[in-house]
Parts: sequence; C-alpha cells; structure tokens
Amino acid sequence: MDTLSYLAQGFGVALTPYNLIAALCGTLIGTVVGLLPGLGPINGVALLIPIAFALGLPPESALILLSAVYLGCEYGGRISSILLNIPGEASTVMTTLDGYPMARQGMAGVALSLSAWSSFIGALIATCGMVLFAPLLAKWAIAFGPAEYFVLMVFAIVCLGGMAGNRPLKTFIAALIGLFLSNIGIDANSGVYRFTGDSVHLADGIQFVVLVLGLFSVSEILLLLEKTHQGQEAVKATGRMMFNLKEAASVFMVNIRCGLLGFIMGVLPGAGATLASAVAYMTEKRMAGKSGTFGQGDMRGLAAPETAIGASACGALVPMLTLGVPGSGTTAVMIGALSLYNITPGPMLFQQQPDIVWGLIASLFIANIMLVILNIPMIRVFTRILAVPNWALVPIIAIITGIGVYAVHATTFDLFMMVGIGIFGYILRKLDFPLSPILLGFILGGLMEQNLRRALSISNGALEILWSSPITLTVWVLTAIMLLLPVLRIWRGRSAKVVDALNDV
Amino acid sequence: MVLQRVFTGALLLVCIALAVMAWPYKASFSYEPVGPRAFPLLMLGLMGLSLLYQLFRPTPIVHSEEEPALDRETLIKIAACIGLLLVFAGLFEPLGFILSSILIGIPMARLYGGRWLASTVVVIIMSIALYLLFDKAMDVPLPLGVLDFVEN
Repeated sequence: MDTLSYLAQGFGVALTPYNLIAALCGTLIGTVVGLLPGLGPINGVALLIPIAFALGLPPESALILLSAVYLGCEYGGRISSILLNIPGEASTVMTTLDGYPMARQGMAGVALSLSAWSSFIGALIATCGMVLFAPLLAKWAIAFGPAEYFVLMVFAIVCLGGMAGNRPLKTFIAALIGLFLSNIGIDANSGVYRFTGDSVHLADGIQFVVLVLGLFSVSEILLLLEKTHQGQEAVKATGRMMFNLKEAASVFMVNIRCGLLGFIMGVLPGAGATLASAVAYMTEKRMAGKSGTFGQGDMRGLAAPETAIGASACGALVPMLTLGVPGSGTTAVMIGALSLYNITPGPMLFQQQPDIVWGLIASLFIANIMLVILNIPMIRVFTRILAVPNWALVPIIAIITGIGVYAVHATTFDLFMMVGIGIFGYILRKLDFPLSPILLGFILGGLMEQNLRRALSISNGALEILWSSPITLTVWVLTAIMLLLPVLRIWRGRSAKVVDALNDV
Repeated sequence: MVLQRVFTGALLLVCIALAVMAWPYKASFSYEPVGPRAFPLLMLGLMGLSLLYQLFRPTPIVHSEEEPALDRETLIKIAACIGLLLVFAGLFEPLGFILSSILIGIPMARLYGGRWLASTVVVIIMSIALYLLFDKAMDVPLPLGVLDFVEN
C-alpha cells in the first residue's frame, strides 16, 4: 500500500502545470529529434542537459523533461522507419519490416497510430512492473556494500559484451576506453592529477556532455557526408489515421507478451531496446507460423517490436533508479544529468527523494499518453519535417551541438575536444566498434573505482572481500556465464559452419 | 583489415604510453591500501591484452548494405568538414556565435549538396534565430564577439 500512496504523491508532482509543460515540451522535442537522421535519444538527451541546467529547472522537472525526450525520441524514430523505410536507430530496424509495407498499402496512418498504441501498452506494462519491482529492488539493494557494487558493475560491463553478439571483444575494448577516460582529471581521494598533461581544462576531467556530443553528434555528421542520397520521398499518410477496435484487439495478446518480454530485457543491463525488439519480432513470427504474413505488412509484426521497445525503454530505468547502474547508453546519459544536480541514483534515492523517483514514474505514464494523443494531429507536421534535406539540417545540428558543448563550461577548449573526440568516434564507428559501451564505461568508471577502493579500505587491502559474501559470489557466477556466452556462441557458430561445409561436399 | 590492424596497434601504443605516464602516480600520504594508479593501470592492462588479441586475430568488419566504400572524394569532404568544425571552435569566442556559425554553416551546407543562395539564406536565418532562442529565451550565454556593439 505504501507504493500506491507514493505513486499518488508522484502524480501530484507530475501533474503540476509546470511539470506537465516540461513533459509536453519533452515529448515534442524528443519526437522531432528522433525523426531527424543522425540524432537519436542519446544526442537528444545529452543536448538538453546543459540547457535544462541553464534554464534553472528544478531536478524533478529536469528529469521529467529528459525522460519525456527519451520516450519521444524512441517514438520519433518509428515515424521515419514506417514512412521512409529508414530506421532512425538500431532498435527500429524491426519496425521497418512490417511497418513500411503497411504504409505502402495505404495504411500509413493506421500503422503509425497502432505503433504508438503498442508502444504505449508496452510502456504501461513496464511502468507497472517498475512500480511493483523497483521499491523491492531498492530495499534489497540497501544491503549492498562497496564490494557488491563493484562486482555488480563488473557484471554490467561484461553483460554488454555478452549480449552484443557478434563482436564481444570490440564491445569490451570500447567499455574499457570509457572506463579509462573517466580516470582523467584530479583524483578525489589523493589529489593526484591523472593524465591531465598539466592542462587546466582537464583538471576536473572530460565533461560528460562533451564526450557524448563528440562521440555521437560529430561522428554522425561525418558519417552523413558519405550518404549521397537527398531527402527521400516519404509515403503520404492519408486516409484513416486511427486503428479500429478490431485491429487493436487482434494484436492485444502480442502487446501483452512483448511488453513483458521487453520489460525483462530492458531491466537486464546491456540488452536494451535493440535486442528486445529483435527477440520480440522473431518470437511472434515463429508463434504466428504459417498464418502470419510477416514481412508483408502484418500488424502483429509491427506491434511486436514496438511494444518491446516501449517496454524496454521504461524497463531500462529500473536498474538506473534502484541501483544507480545504467543499463543502456541513454540511461547512462541520464545519470550524467543527475550528477549535474548532485543527485546520486541508487537505493537511497527512494527514501531520501521520493518526489523525484515517483514523480518520474508518474510522468512516464503521462508522457506516454501524450505521445498517443499528439500522434493524431501532429502526424502531418512530422512528415513535413522528414522532407528537410540534409544540407539544411547538418549545419544546424553542428551549430546546436556547439552550443550544447559551450553551454557546459563556456570554454572553447571543450569545442576543440569535442571535434577531437568526434574524429576518434568516427574512426571507431568505421572499424565497427560500438559506441555506447564507451559512455557506459565512462559513467561507471568513477563509481567502480570509488567502490573498489572503499571495499579494499574496509578489508585493509585483502582481496577476499570481493568474493566473500553470497551476493558477490552469485554475481561473479553470473558474470562468468556472461563471459562464456559469446565464446559458446562462436564455438557453436563454428561447428555449424563445419556441418554446412560437410553438407556441401 | 590493414586499417584495423594499424588502428589497433596505434591504440596499443597509446595504452603503453599512458601506462608509463601513470606509473609515478602516488599519493603523497595515504591512508587507504589502493592508491590513485591501481585502477587506471588495471584498465590499461586489460585494454592492452584485448588489443593484443585483436591485433593478431582481427574481427572482420561487417558493412551494412547501403554503406558505400570510402573513396578519395569522400575523404576530402570529411577532412574539409573536420577543418570547418575546428575553425568553428577557434573562432567561436573571437568572432562571436552568430558570425562564426554563419562562416562555417554556409560552406558546410554546400558540402552536403545545398545550393549557394538557399544555403546562405537558411544558415543566416538559423544562426540568428538560434542565438535569440538560446541566449535570450533559454539563458544559455553565447558570445557576441565582434558584434558586441549591437548589445550596447
């Protein structure tokens, strides 16, 4: 019952006019940012951090704004995948498979509203899950000491590699780069300047916003140079805009199943929306069997990934809020934002600042409803935005990125650093390194080092503390499984190839 | 594949250099068993090992279907774009936000295939609009640079 009264309190926070406007602005900005090529939720949230700070928003409003942007971005990404057949980001690839064929059959409006509806149900399921499980997890997490935290973070990092599939080693290297980068600057415990090269600007480390915008925006700007095609013709969204009851009912079971699946995948660190949508689509395709027309505009094929994405976006907030350990690039960015406000997410947050936590959870409900409602009148405007050509868009993205970086510290050193990081990020991308592990590593690095040092201070340098408690042991076992997973997959892939080769002969 | 090896090698060298740099980091007096250099060295060590493995057994790069191969022309464009961004960073404070963003925005729009007139109009309008939006409406201070006299 406690939970319900807290939730009511949360709605009290979220329903103040100020925060409602924040949520509305967030969803609108997010949708537009998600629509634009090269800007995803990570850039969207990162760009808004310095602005929210400069505006002097109180922490709960800022967090509501940022989460609304997050949800909006996920939503905006689907518009370009359905109407243009261009997935805005990796997670919406699955949406194009059935969304675009539906649009071609003159059902663009239905496809869009149905996807919004699916995502809404997914988010609703996940938010309910969050309301149920987050306080429990937080209560449990209070028992965590520094050693447990350290091991948990090792697990989060290893999970990234284990889940990433085809390139575990590269993912691991990327995460290590991020972990290392977080060491730059003055060491809080001893006052030693590390890797600053005597530069004043590096004394308090690399600014998070600079790293994010360099890695994601600048490298994306460079990548866009390679694509020669000009603003593509979008499928016109005409005819019926709303799905009808029969259509909603036909995908209802899909929504429920994929919502649960997406939530679980979202909570697991490293899995995230991309994997959730892929698994949801594949599962539904298999379950439908011969009766489905997956790939040719089956509504279930559209609903499945969308529900999963919506659910996992909310699910990813669970480890971030309860443990302070982000599970995805975007939640890593949100932790960065919170640290600007001197708020450390973690189990204590539920007790010390319930306003923030429950206000956020409540505003997720509200932002999701807003997205469904906005969809109907705004669709035409959004399709207009899709027609903006790259030559007009890219300079504006570049300039806004510059503003975002400059807003943090008002030094041009940061601008140069952003370009440098951007070039590095571009090279990494060309060589097929994933970028979000760098972010995750960067956020976790500081926490990891602090917890490791604290743990070893407690034990006076004896390493046993890292595996002496039952919690740490369990997490180590899980970590070992995660480490073995890619090895196993490679091995199985190899033996499958051998079988294929034998069959060929 | 060769490029990847070169990059991995370079990264490995950087790793070693940083480790050498980290070696003398010691707290002048310390009351905890782990000093400031242990964690960075651990990270660099793990990274070094992974890079070494990567150097000998590079993972093949999977290209997505619509990604064209890098040709000379694109490389020149990319270099030009980086140059423009650096100019932007350098002139941001001396010239001020509006002028520097117009200065780099127009050639950038051209790089992405815009026409002269359209690019010029769009970039000038957007630069001024963004200045007003961020500096005036959202309280993000942006430098005016040589346009300072407009304020007074």
